[in-house]
Amino acid sequence: MSDKLRRIVFGSLGFGIVLLIWEIAGRKLGNALFAPPSAVALEYVDLIRQGDMLRQLTGSLQQMVVGFGAACIIGMPLGVAMGRSRVADAVARPWVSMFVVTSTATLVPLFILILGTGFALRVTIVFLSSVWYIALTAYNGARGVSPMQIAVARSFGAGVLQTFWKVTLPAIYPYLLTGARIGLVHAIRAMVLAEMFVIIGYGGLIHRAGLQIDTAPTLALLITLMIVSLLLNGLLGLAGRLLAPWYEQQRVTT
Amino acid sequence: MASSAARSGRQASGQKALGAAKGGAARLLISGYGLSMLSVVVVLLIWQWGSSQTSGLLLPPPSAVLGKFLDPVWFAALMRAVSQSLVQLALGFALTLVIAVPLGMVIGRYRVLREMFEPVINAIYAIPPVAFVPFLVIWFGLFFEARVALVFLMSFFDVLVVIIAGARDVRRPLIDVGRSFGASRLQQLRLIVLPSLLPFFIGALRVGSARAINGMITAELFFAAVNLGAMMKRSTQQFDTAAVLSIVLLICLLGLIAQSLVALIERRLVHWHVRG
Repeated sequence: MSDKLRRIVFGSLGFGIVLLIWEIAGRKLGNALFAPPSAVALEYVDLIRQGDMLRQLTGSLQQMVVGFGAACIIGMPLGVAMGRSRVADAVARPWVSMFVVTSTATLVPLFILILGTGFALRVTIVFLSSVWYIALTAYNGARGVSPMQIAVARSFGAGVLQTFWKVTLPAIYPYLLTGARIGLVHAIRAMVLAEMFVIIGYGGLIHRAGLQIDTAPTLALLITLMIVSLLLNGLLGLAGRLLAPWYEQQRVTT
Repeated sequence: MASSAARSGRQASGQKALGAAKGGAARLLISGYGLSMLSVVVVLLIWQWGSSQTSGLLLPPPSAVLGKFLDPVWFAALMRAVSQSLVQLALGFALTLVIAVPLGMVIGRYRVLREMFEPVINAIYAIPPVAFVPFLVIWFGLFFEARVALVFLMSFFDVLVVIIAGARDVRRPLIDVGRSFGASRLQQLRLIVLPSLLPFFIGALRVGSARAINGMITAELFFAAVNLGAMMKRSTQQFDTAAVLSIVLLICLLGLIAQSLVALIERRLVHWHVRG
């Protein structure tokens, strides 16, 4: 059996086992406690037909993308600067290490006071929860660029800018991509957190569904969230491969 | 591998800087801690100046935040609340470690289990844990049990994923050598698998403790508001931004303490594997 086939067969087997256990547990506990997949599937069709779920989802995702995009635009250069320059590292380090350990949840009440509960709040929370991870991953990449390669480029007469463009950037590219993926996970978490807090958008939908007697709608909403998260992550990977096809998808540990 | 390359790169550039600069040591000191301190002081001064230009209600000056934080009555209340919060944090995170570490080791060590369950775990991991809050309310109510459950849920998958990765990457030749010298399965586990897992375990602690603290405060805000969460909500309703910021400061300090504790454990336990 080829590796790929093996992975598909066993992977689906795993999903099958989990679904089976869930179905049995769900039937035993009943819809009020833990709806089985069969009930969730029916509910799912219903939710898609009503259209509310997808409408709220696109709205929420648009705001998430704004915050996440801003986090990439600011976090990546910040991380690279920290990795390449001692001064930038020393100046930014205390702030990055402070913010990265501060739970996003504590910032939500604060920013509700400052920004209200609208667009600005959600974008800010998403930005603040993802930018530090993006920066730190870029930092790790930039710090690991081989000094030998840079020295070679320099000795062949490449300028500072050229060296950066032709040597440093390609070398840290996999890290930028990994940083974006880690950041995306945090961005989606932050989106749901902020929305469930102020009961708005998709997170608000989850909150309201949670008040019903039946757990099937909540589970259906969670599954959509899971699919979206996996899809966006896959999309980032695909974009990475299209932008720089010469890179094998490298495993980068942080 | 990457980290050792980074370290040698750092050393090389560090040596160069030392050689090039006049009075290298002093300069290094300036570019290191000195600059960091300067950065903190400058930003705080700008913040102080900026908030003196506005009403101060929306953004109180850092001196007011620190004053509130150190105010004896408020500080005592904060300490009382955080000691309560730490109970659910400890319980939830202990549950995570007790379940996720052995489970991750089993899944990571056996290829079949890994191929079967890794996709499922990644799929569940993709769901933001906060979204499970409605469920936790149904199953565990609004109080202590629900808070412990959220701490558990928010840290569980982060720890599990790291441990699986670690257990998978135990080097095959090491195990083969152990086997050929007649090590039993238990000996292999104790002498080869566990030591090579230690760096990953530290990594899991680092990520997991941050997530658990996040879960602790999230739970106090999302279920029945108690402890720090209640203080935060009350301060928000009274538009007391300085009080809110003093709680944020406390959570931040808690996170920093947890990270340095993990670093301490790392130095004690994994002295042969120091991160660059």
